[in-house]
Amino acid sequence: MRARLARFAVSAAVIGAALLAWELAVRFGYLKPYQFPPASRIARGFVELSTTGFPTGVSIWSHTLVTIGRVLQGYLAALVLAIPLGLLIGALPFLDRLTAPVVVFCRSIATLSLLPLVIVWFGAGELTKIVLIAYGCFWTMLSNVIAGVRYVDPMLIRAARSFGVAGIELYRTVVLPAALPRIFAGARMALGVGFMVIVGAEMIGTIEGLGALIMEARTFYRSEITMIGMLVIGMLGFAISSGLAGLERLLLPWSGSLDEVRR
Amino acid sequence: MNALARRLRDSDLAVGAVGAFGLVAIWEIAARTGLVDPQLFPSPLLAIEMAAARLTAETVGENLAWSLFRVFSGFGLGASAGAVIGIAAGWYRTFGMIARPLIELLRPIPPLAWIPLAIIWFGLGEPSKFFIIFLGAFFPVVTSAYHGMRSIDPMLLRAGQTMGLGGVPLLFRVAVPAAAPDLATGVRIGWGLSFGVLVAAELVAADRGLGYMIINERNTGGSVGVIIVGILLIGLLNLVTDAAIGAATKRWIGRWHGT
Repeated sequence: MRARLARFAVSAAVIGAALLAWELAVRFGYLKPYQFPPASRIARGFVELSTTGFPTGVSIWSHTLVTIGRVLQGYLAALVLAIPLGLLIGALPFLDRLTAPVVVFCRSIATLSLLPLVIVWFGAGELTKIVLIAYGCFWTMLSNVIAGVRYVDPMLIRAARSFGVAGIELYRTVVLPAALPRIFAGARMALGVGFMVIVGAEMIGTIEGLGALIMEARTFYRSEITMIGMLVIGMLGFAISSGLAGLERLLLPWSGSLDEVRR
Repeated sequence: MNALARRLRDSDLAVGAVGAFGLVAIWEIAARTGLVDPQLFPSPLLAIEMAAARLTAETVGENLAWSLFRVFSGFGLGASAGAVIGIAAGWYRTFGMIARPLIELLRPIPPLAWIPLAIIWFGLGEPSKFFIIFLGAFFPVVTSAYHGMRSIDPMLLRAGQTMGLGGVPLLFRVAVPAAAPDLATGVRIGWGLSFGVLVAAELVAADRGLGYMIINERNTGGSVGVIIVGILLIGLLNLVTDAAIGAATKRWIGRWHGT
């Protein structure tokens, strides 16, 4: 406990010192304030963002809510499609062998490269962003669900068989619980992918959302607002991934060696 | 069933090829018979025909070369910097105490979110794209290198010291090889991220490269065929390079850890 506290104090000191050095470098003219807005200016920008908003009327909170809403819609759509499909493919080895190259190829297509195509198909509105997020989340989720079901420790299955468990019963009572840690890890990775994709997708064709905020601020030479947007995106990502990790420990206490899965 | 047919059925490659060709064939038939609008959903072969009518192979090759050049150089710099800093932070305590908080602070920010700031710092030219790709490789590599260094079996280090190694030789002969598998995982993740980031950076701000090629095609109201060919090329490129990097790192680790 004491060691952790000391480490925390050192971290805080290092970050504080870096901010101070930055502030001084700007004051003494070594760094341009437009390129490297110091902490004091970022703080003032934050007050403006949370009250008046940027562009005027849209506060940082509504930008954040818009982004979260988009991510969640795409993410949930992906989960709803990927989990049943993955459970099916994972349960039928022949189907898995048949579809494996397609899954690998679709997964390696950079999600944002689909942006021009999706704009042609669905226009430049909300649907396009949600489709892109869903695409990115879907393949990550699907391949993890398949792998989770397929690579259940064969010892577990053999043990269950020798107790006379078979068929759907075996799938439900042994395979599924054993696959859940990997499936959960996939869900976590997929949400990370969703957050990557949304920032890029919002840079084109919208003025709402955190990705749009940081891009708009750049056009108006408001680099401090860009930086606030980046920090909010970072904190959001961090909060979500540590929140999900906590949830995972709570829901799946039997998944001990998750570090192996996470790779 | 004869022997050949049985062997084909048991080969993952053959079954997978059947699946992939089957999918393309269904798409092809649907587009040719007008079941789906070939102007909007052209099948791969139709798309290649449409693209060939609009672009020369040279233009495509030039954009491809630019994308590859950017991603390889940005990734090379980012992965090297990440490896050096991560290893140093894991080995030298004081440096680690200073570097870690700063890295942990910036790490959760996705590389794409740096695009506007990169433009502010470096303008719209090449350096801003290199910087973003650099970040895509840097953060996964630096964290995995640090993690690898911190989870070395202390027995290995003690054994090395007993045999008279110390300081820098101990670092390079024992510690770095021991951390290599973690480092390799980071390199692989970093490559995937660099590649994804490259396309996004080219979509938002570039005047050449595959990402630019496809967004420009859509902005000028060109054919969907070019966009589809571009997307398939990007996917294929990612797949091939990822496999190559996977094989290369496996050989590199294999020197110490077996294959």
